[in-house]
Amino acid sequence: MRIYNRYIASLAITVCLICIVLAALDQDDLAVYFTLNVTAYLVITLLYAYLNPRTRRSLKALGMTFFAGFLVVVALKVADILQG
Amino acid sequence: MDNPYRLLGVSLCAAGAIFAPVSYFVIGSVAMTALGISAVMLGFTCIALASARAPVSSEACELMLQTGMQNTAALLEELELTGKAVYLPSTMADGPGRALVPLSDGQAILRVRGKVPARLIVRYGLGPEEMAVSVTTPGAMTIQLLDTRPGPTPADIEAATGYILTGALDIATSVGVRMTDSTVEVEVDGPRLGYEDAWYYRCLGSPIASIAAAVSSEALGHPVRIKEESQDRGRSRITLEVLE
Repeated sequence: MRIYNRYIASLAITVCLICIVLAALDQDDLAVYFTLNVTAYLVITLLYAYLNPRTRRSLKALGMTFFAGFLVVVALKVADILQG
Repeated sequence: MDNPYRLLGVSLCAAGAIFAPVSYFVIGSVAMTALGISAVMLGFTCIALASARAPVSSEACELMLQTGMQNTAALLEELELTGKAVYLPSTMADGPGRALVPLSDGQAILRVRGKVPARLIVRYGLGPEEMAVSVTTPGAMTIQLLDTRPGPTPADIEAATGYILTGALDIATSVGVRMTDSTVEVEVDGPRLGYEDAWYYRCLGSPIASIAAAVSSEALGHPVRIKEESQDRGRSRITLEVLE
């Protein structure tokens, strides 16, 4: 299996596993699903460091977008806690 | 839309964009909504991967590689050169690293003195018979894909070779490197460019061996010769000899 297919397959399997496990644990907070999926994306992308430079640049830009979403979720949670 | 990654990405994005709001507002399932959002994330990742594919087709790339190799092979055959090539690091050559094929029949290059000019026929030593044909190889060109010069340890050579073969060029599955005093052994799993018993390959090695030799030479800062190359059950074994 080529490295790009391996990368997509591992990402798809991890994301599905996260959704299944959290659903089995009766998790009903969408922010938890999103945060864990973004973390999995960032970790797996970091592990595939051998991808060619053009792809790495595109994935880095995408990772930054997902991370911005992650920060928004964290900010909302913090605001929620501060407001009591 | 002939790129399969782009097609998959757009399909996943569209499916996720429909599935997520339906799951949230109609079905009322958070897990299904999360699955829809994950599909959109995967879709965008696939679209980003679509840029990994070269704008020219792999057939065109192979055609250009074959053309270059056949031109070099014609030159080697015309001059009846049978000696094994020595790969030079960029510090010992003008421009990107080059490979030297000895002009004297049956003579092996043991030592290269000074910097070799970027010409076709070059002198690599002081003796009158120390002349060689200097050619550019696929390995020498791929060195330019590395951001920095690799270090001289087996781990560094393995990382650099792995980056080029599995990541940047996608022509192998994995790479392993072992090193003894003056020998570097490279094992390449799942090579997609094999070895052929042709004149070019006997002199300069297969493209994969050429890349391994060029990276090792650049990392060690010494000339390197492909001593042996064999392929067995989807695994390529390359033995490189490090010269002074």
